[in-house]
Amino acid sequence: MRVVVDKTKCASIGMCEAVAPDIFEIGANGALTILQENPSQERRDDVEMACTDCPTQALSIEEN
Amino acid sequence: MWVLLSDRWVHRPDGEDHHDDHEYAGTTVITRAERTYDPADVSSREFWSLTATGRERTFAELRANRPVSWHRPAEDLLVEDPNDQGFWAVVRHADLVEVTRRHGDFLSGEGVAFESFPKEMLDVGQGFIAMDPPRHTKIRRLLTAAFTPKQMARIEQDIIANAGRIVDNIADKGQIDFVEEVAALVPMHNICDMAGVPERYRQVIAEESKLVDGWRDPELLQGAEPTARLFQALATLRQIAGELIAERRCKPGNDLLTSLVAAEFDGERLTDDEIVSAFTLLMVAGNDTTRQSISHGMKALTDFPDQRAWLMEDLAGRMPSAVEEIVRWATPIMTFRRTAARDCELAGQHITAGDKVILFYASANWDTDVFEHPERFDLSRSPNKHVSFGGGGIHHCLGNQLARKQLTATFRAVLTRLPDIQVVGEPVYGAGNFFHTVKSMTARYSPER
Repeated sequence: MRVVVDKTKCASIGMCEAVAPDIFEIGANGALTILQENPSQERRDDVEMACTDCPTQALSIEEN
Repeated sequence: MWVLLSDRWVHRPDGEDHHDDHEYAGTTVITRAERTYDPADVSSREFWSLTATGRERTFAELRANRPVSWHRPAEDLLVEDPNDQGFWAVVRHADLVEVTRRHGDFLSGEGVAFESFPKEMLDVGQGFIAMDPPRHTKIRRLLTAAFTPKQMARIEQDIIANAGRIVDNIADKGQIDFVEEVAALVPMHNICDMAGVPERYRQVIAEESKLVDGWRDPELLQGAEPTARLFQALATLRQIAGELIAERRCKPGNDLLTSLVAAEFDGERLTDDEIVSAFTLLMVAGNDTTRQSISHGMKALTDFPDQRAWLMEDLAGRMPSAVEEIVRWATPIMTFRRTAARDCELAGQHITAGDKVILFYASANWDTDVFEHPERFDLSRSPNKHVSFGGGGIHHCLGNQLARKQLTATFRAVLTRLPDIQVVGEPVYGAGNFFHTVKSMTARYSPER
């Protein structure tokens, strides 16, 4: 799976980082960086939670 | 871009998706003047003087029968606005979330309170919460870096230490005003630590920021004229901020004010006015929300001893779900306003450009479509989709992680060290329509030896 962020929607609220800090990071400039674009399958639950928890619905999963 | 709507100028976000699929087209729009007011009262001083339970009766009726309804203007407005013909009341969870997410249809830049505040006052008093993209995006991003999960983890020990010190100071007293000696101090010290506000200004800031919603309260006003007193409070906050900004320019520290002063965004720096306004918002939003949640939480833990017993069986493990329920129960901010950018539709109602749309968070938090037995204070509630930090979208509470950490630290310290602490008598509640204020509340406990 691939994690995709829609930068026009992302408001850097950081709920994703709270769920999976090894995959998502809000940088010092306030912008979201995806640390692992293709996380392993065992992280699917966390990534899905990050997508559904995102207050601005900026995250989605694309299947490879 | 500024656009002239039917009766006023409105700031339209540039290059924003305007959600054309929601665009209302077709049949005649009923103008504001021709609309009839809903018979339910959510506008009067009496309504806002009721307890949360009293208000819930009206909300329940509206949720069941008229989820988006038109009401006469709120009583007790500070600013007289002859053009204010009323507002839409949004009371259901799903509709509140929808309005929050349609930020192109429902703007914040006209103000987020019932009031038609003049623009200058919005800038000082409401900060980036009362802005739309792109201005909102720019300022909010700068602050975000201070509130990331990593930053929160870094300051967690400070938050725990602050909670410990606050309990140290009351431990041998046996009886206190819980609001003044616990609930108000926790957020005050934490937000001031983060922002870099020295001790000497903390109490003044906490007192003055109460005025933002408390200008109706004769006790706070002490005979002063409300508008003048509110402006005075804002001027005081502005002056303190100004002084601290100047200090940081010469001598940078490791705090939020320094980052605001130093911040660059696409090569642009924030103006002093923008920094002051962001600072004021942080102080008001930081102090007045967590204070209410801690107070309401303590009251509920007294009123529901079975829930408290359940929590104490595994305080550390059960705190996360308990915090969510305390925040739902407290709903520290009861209302926020949006203003319609254009004619559009919401839950079958035709909303006209310029209409005020009020979101009722306490009502959404008791919506039986989402919460089973919302009247039960249930610390194990899961999932708990409360909207106390907002219904999502770009204005979602920046400090939500900070608030959660503060509540956790406070209740862990209080309940461990003062295990028999109880609220005695009834709290004194505020009568505003914005913050769910507890003004004072006596708590009693066996003094620590």
